[in-house]
Amino acid sequence: MIDTSVPVQQNLPRAGGHRFLATIKPPRVALNVLLLVVALLWLMPTITLAIISLRPESLYQVSGWWKILTAPSQFTFSNYSQLFSQGLAAGGLLDSLVTSLEITVPATLLVTLLSSLAAYSIVFGRWRGRTAVFLGVVGLMVVPVQVALLPVVQLYRAFGSLTGFNPYGTIEGVVIFHVAFGLPFGIFLMRNFYVGIPLDLVEAARIDGAGEVKLFRRLIVPLGMPAVASLLIFQFIWVWNDLLVALVFLGGYPHTPLTLFLYGQTRALGENYWIISTGGMISIIVPLIVFFSFQRYFVRGMLAGAVK
Amino acid sequence: MAPISLEQVNKSYPNGFHAVHDFALDVAEGELMVLVGPSGCGKTTVLRMVAGLEDITSGTLTFGNRVVNDLSPRERDVAMVFQSYALYPHMTVAENIGFSLSLHKMPKAEIAAKVNEAAVILGLSEWLDRKPAQLSGGQRQRVAMGRAIVREPSVFLMDEPLSNLDAKLRVQMRAEVSRIQRRIGVATMYVTHDQVEAMTMGDRVAVMRTGRLQQVAPPQVLYDRPDNVFVAAFIGSPAMNLYRAELAEDAQTVRLGSQTLRITDEVRHSRPALVAYAGKRLVVGFRPEDLPAVDAEMPAADSQDLEGDVTLVEALGSDLLVHFTIDAARVQPEDVQEDAAGLESGELVVAGEGIARVDPRVEIQVGKRTRFRLSPSRLHFFDLESESAIW
Amino acid sequence: MAILEAPSDQLADVVPAPRHRPWWRHTSSLLFLVPATIWLLAIVIYPVFATIRYSLFDETASHFVGLSNFKTLFTSDDLLVAFRNNIIWVVIFPFFVTFFGLVFAVLTERIGWATVFKTIIVMPIVFSTTASALVWAEIFTNSQPQIGAVNAFLETVSDWFNPPGLYPISSSAGQTVAGLASYGLHPGASNTLLSSSTVHPGGVVRLGMVGIVPTTLQTLGAEQAHLPNAASGVVSGVVWRDFSPTSSNLTTPQAGEDGLPDMRLALVSSAGAQLASTSTDAHGTFQFTGVQPGTYHVEVAASNFGSGFAGVNWLGSQSLTPTGGAGQTAQALFSVPLIDMSMIIAYLWIWAGFAMVILAAGLASIDRAVLEATRIDGATELQTFRRVTMPLLAPVLTVVFVTMVINVLKIFDIVINMAPGSSQQQANTLALSIYNDGFTSGIHTGLASAIAVVLFVLVVPAMLWNLKKLKASGY
Repeated sequence: MIDTSVPVQQNLPRAGGHRFLATIKPPRVALNVLLLVVALLWLMPTITLAIISLRPESLYQVSGWWKILTAPSQFTFSNYSQLFSQGLAAGGLLDSLVTSLEITVPATLLVTLLSSLAAYSIVFGRWRGRTAVFLGVVGLMVVPVQVALLPVVQLYRAFGSLTGFNPYGTIEGVVIFHVAFGLPFGIFLMRNFYVGIPLDLVEAARIDGAGEVKLFRRLIVPLGMPAVASLLIFQFIWVWNDLLVALVFLGGYPHTPLTLFLYGQTRALGENYWIISTGGMISIIVPLIVFFSFQRYFVRGMLAGAVK
Repeated sequence: MAPISLEQVNKSYPNGFHAVHDFALDVAEGELMVLVGPSGCGKTTVLRMVAGLEDITSGTLTFGNRVVNDLSPRERDVAMVFQSYALYPHMTVAENIGFSLSLHKMPKAEIAAKVNEAAVILGLSEWLDRKPAQLSGGQRQRVAMGRAIVREPSVFLMDEPLSNLDAKLRVQMRAEVSRIQRRIGVATMYVTHDQVEAMTMGDRVAVMRTGRLQQVAPPQVLYDRPDNVFVAAFIGSPAMNLYRAELAEDAQTVRLGSQTLRITDEVRHSRPALVAYAGKRLVVGFRPEDLPAVDAEMPAADSQDLEGDVTLVEALGSDLLVHFTIDAARVQPEDVQEDAAGLESGELVVAGEGIARVDPRVEIQVGKRTRFRLSPSRLHFFDLESESAIW
Repeated sequence: MAILEAPSDQLADVVPAPRHRPWWRHTSSLLFLVPATIWLLAIVIYPVFATIRYSLFDETASHFVGLSNFKTLFTSDDLLVAFRNNIIWVVIFPFFVTFFGLVFAVLTERIGWATVFKTIIVMPIVFSTTASALVWAEIFTNSQPQIGAVNAFLETVSDWFNPPGLYPISSSAGQTVAGLASYGLHPGASNTLLSSSTVHPGGVVRLGMVGIVPTTLQTLGAEQAHLPNAASGVVSGVVWRDFSPTSSNLTTPQAGEDGLPDMRLALVSSAGAQLASTSTDAHGTFQFTGVQPGTYHVEVAASNFGSGFAGVNWLGSQSLTPTGGAGQTAQALFSVPLIDMSMIIAYLWIWAGFAMVILAAGLASIDRAVLEATRIDGATELQTFRRVTMPLLAPVLTVVFVTMVINVLKIFDIVINMAPGSSQQQANTLALSIYNDGFTSGIHTGLASAIAVVLFVLVVPAMLWNLKKLKASGY
């Protein structure tokens, strides 16, 4: 971008030149250096993980990762090639990656859809008690997941003996749980966005002949896209990174999402450092891609619902 | 059957607020009915009830021979232009205009044809692919109009459609809206708080105040024969000068402060009810434009002269607005005052201020006592209690 | 008006108004709420009540036991540890994360690359806590300075000020300096060794030592030890590794026994004053020349045995507060294990970006004109910040703080992933114990539910605060 608004003359030193000198502020330099150090420190753990995954496993217990800086020959893709040679074998890391996606994608889409619908009803519906319902939803936002675990396990068992399908130990069971605990925040986020849509637009659409469904689909959904983007990202990252729910509902079952896989590997006797480091990298790369692609919406979502 | 008919329509809210009282109004085929009144008078509520955006608490709303009280906006076949235009920001101009048609599952080609037709009428053909954010205020207004007319609705509603435009554009669009309305020839209700819009655009004007209909009449009738003090004060700018006065026992004169105005036989004949007020107090009104200033030397003819002390002269070019005071108590309905100037005031303002609209060539000096010619036939009389016009 | 009135005969055509509008006219949009409602009722709301009920029943959820689970909860040392850790987290973490967030938010306003900086700081939020905990466990790796970055860094700093000797003893393996003395040496003050007998100028001292690994000698280039010749005015001698597989003679160097090179020695007067210092050569021999007649001792300096930095057990459960001698319950309540601090540092790394983003937005929303007015009123930058910016930012700071309190009350992932088995007991938290008691070895439904109820009660104030804030904002 070219800024043409500032006339060049203003930046020239005035007579005597002391103004020019005044613009060089030592504290500014110090501040930049300080923040640079902070930034490097903040990057260090990520770099650590990346480099560990790029060094031979045999060196792991011998020397620190920073030795690669003086011995670049240590650099190798062998951990990753070993990983991909494993392929999608059951119980492997890539299998877990697929499981993570199988859980995260439906849970995210469902939360976004149900939240949008519920928020539409709360904002544009004409039934009584909308405020009370909304406040209830806000209250539910801080309910700890831990409170619900035991009863839901029981509930799944009961459902299983009733219908023959016990969601406990299945991907569906985890998805159902994640959707429930994603809804309060989702509804909160969508509702707060919808409230900003001028009522005139909704009324205009009603007069133009839109019923509830068409109003939602053709007006509210397109206008609500920025909030939907925020919610999708938030929910995706939240579900992707969950360990507790996976541990409770899938622990000991064949489907292990990445977090559960990593947890299991670190607890295993004779740790496989190569798979922990590459697994760690793979597990952060997906949310990183999401983050960098939709950074704006992620920050917006964070600002909109700084409560969870 | 009138295309729009409201009978004894009421609106009250759960919190007890009674927004509209026993509202009755018929709008004829092709008629442009303007609803006017100060803010909060219920005019927009009436419009929204007609649109189906508000429930009707009681009363009957019929379109032609259909009672539509319980129909949703979708089922009423109404079109509406909003004050904010309410253009769909994610759609192009063409999509905005064609939205209702697409909702009614009209074939695409047909929609395109209708949209183009509307665009030609509104001069929007060049802008059909733009989004609303890329349009000027006037263009947005046209799109809002286009969205309404393309539907060929049975009822056309407009809620202060020009109030977001700047003054110059407003004058231009005023004429254009009238032209378009006449062209589509649909019964139209038009809400505004601007009495100039009301007077210039309305086939008839319905004046509202605090939820009640005050008078429905063509603009000229409203101006010439206001039904009550409120309408008299609300219609016309500057507002009618209204004072407390007392009619003489013989009904030959009316006393206005220390001055006495003669009432001719002609006036008494045209207002037979006036005799009943002989010896009683009432409200007398006259419009600024009925008060030409006169030379002190000119003899009084059949007209009566009113003397006032000039406090301020405003030159408009075409006229002079001369502010003066007389020693009679001025009457002013409070909501008119608030709406006009944002001032707080009681029912009665005791200072006897008045305004005259005077030929600019007459020399007027501030601080000087000046005579204004007042034709008795231009006097308006109102009951002091009920504020109704005395005829 | 008359012409507009409908002729009375047409009135018959008017379709009568339905008496009641269909119920779904106003409620059709309620259908949109149904799926979410069912979901929330079944998986969030019902379980809250079920958990409360479970908490009053025994482990098989069949016998009502009243509040006995809660009694266990508040008397078992293990769970008191969990409570204590939750308190440590709540007291320390929200304050620091808000502080860091504020500092970053304020400072980034003054640099040209704020976006890059903010991105770097925010990034860890999107990582799974599992992966983050894994990395931080690496960074803090126990007692292995050569692998764990923090210990490696501390080792570098420590060596700078306190370099290790050439013959470091490993105190963790039970080695002592005194144990190194074999012949002619006895322990001196503060990890020195002193010749057992006094020496005179012209004398030759034999100092035999054991417990020195052959690899050390190799690195130092040690050679066969031999006795130096005596000379007048000179105190000479040999320091050697007094360990030969073939000979049991301990008093003089034997064939195959190497000298100890570069051993730092001092000549000490009988009064204890250091008079001269020297060090041995490759054969272990040394000499002090020009010694006045008198009686002396030879001292082997403590710096020879300095072991340098041993590494801190960052992920261990050693307490930062003195709790030695206290009872078990008191220890459970008052000790502050080091691992808590390590985990808090890791968690700060994760969440500082969140605090920064919220606070930066808060700062950005402050009206510039107000700040400019303050400047014109003559306030310095610091005064402006303290007197105007901070008060205006106070509500946002509270939001961040409360959000972090709620977050930390539920702390789970970082603990289960970062604390090694040996210190997990001391790093336990309420959320973790719900999992451990409810779902792992020996399922304690009642107790786990009781803990969950307590956790729920703890977040209720935050919930009410949220609602109050929302109401105040007019929704």
